[in-house]
Amino acid sequence: MAEGSENKGKPLMLVAVDDSEHSFYALEWTLDHFFAHGTNHPFKLIVIHARSSASSALGVAGFGSVDFMTSLEADMKKSTGKTVQKAKDVCTSKKVENVEVEVMEGDPRNVMCDAVDKHQASLLVVGSHGYGIVKRAVLGSVSDYCAHHVKCSVMIVKQPTKP
Amino acid sequence: MRVMVAIDGSDESLYALKWALDLLLVGPKDNADDVATSTGTATLEAPHAGSHENVSMVTLIHVMQPFQNYVLPAAGSAELRKEQEEKAAAILARALEICKDKMIKAETLILRGDPKDRICEATEQRHVDLLVVGSRGLGMVKRAFLGSVSSYCAHHAKCPVVIVKPPKESGKQ
Repeated sequence: MAEGSENKGKPLMLVAVDDSEHSFYALEWTLDHFFAHGTNHPFKLIVIHARSSASSALGVAGFGSVDFMTSLEADMKKSTGKTVQKAKDVCTSKKVENVEVEVMEGDPRNVMCDAVDKHQASLLVVGSHGYGIVKRAVLGSVSDYCAHHVKCSVMIVKQPTKP
Repeated sequence: MRVMVAIDGSDESLYALKWALDLLLVGPKDNADDVATSTGTATLEAPHAGSHENVSMVTLIHVMQPFQNYVLPAAGSAELRKEQEEKAAAILARALEICKDKMIKAETLILRGDPKDRICEATEQRHVDLLVVGSRGLGMVKRAFLGSVSSYCAHHAKCPVVIVKPPKESGKQ
């Protein structure tokens, strides 16, 4: 890993991003509050992007022609690339250098739990879409799942509601 | 950054406090040599609160739950209230000791009512930047991964919330 020696032994903060506005808000909030003031940050930061595989996105494995799958894959790769670049740009704009952005494939819930275990993170940061109870139950919630199942502490950052 | 930590007297909440102090509160420790405290519901405006990102002040909030509606003679209920207040003060005294050891300024806030509501209200009224809760407190249900107050606050508090998980039993940290 290519960090300077100042990163050794620091607790690790993982920030989960997808292409939603609220996850980027969470990233920005974290950068503003914990990664300001020059280069000596108290935490090491890794940004995790969970990308679903094309077949899971389709719901039925092997549906459609090979061409369709290929173009879908290509499309998803492009959008993943965009998200990764956007995350890097946000960090750079806040003058936080050398941020690792990792892409892991799979269901975001599992990806986050695995990433926490793999990196032995001290804190996982997730945004929250602020769904109400019903929507949350029906659509599921990654932040909920993480709050319950992830082994490390979890920080849930909500976008302030517009007045 | 204004940080509020919910304390209910459980070991979990005290662990959450220690965790928050160790990990979240960094920065110049030279101005945090005094521990400023205020008990009761009086608000204390800390001199440097919110003026710079390195947190030096923490608010410890403890909510006393109202009694069940037992039929109590007037004298009895006053005594119970007093006992509850003493217990609250003792719980927060322990929490303040922890803050003092880590050289972090702390103020205390004791409220009465439903903990979930009071805590969320307090975070708004005091413009708290970050709320810290343990994952399970006194109302421990063995199979629940997340206690009801923590869960409620995670969903309903408008500010960011940190849910602190207990240390792993296997000792791998």
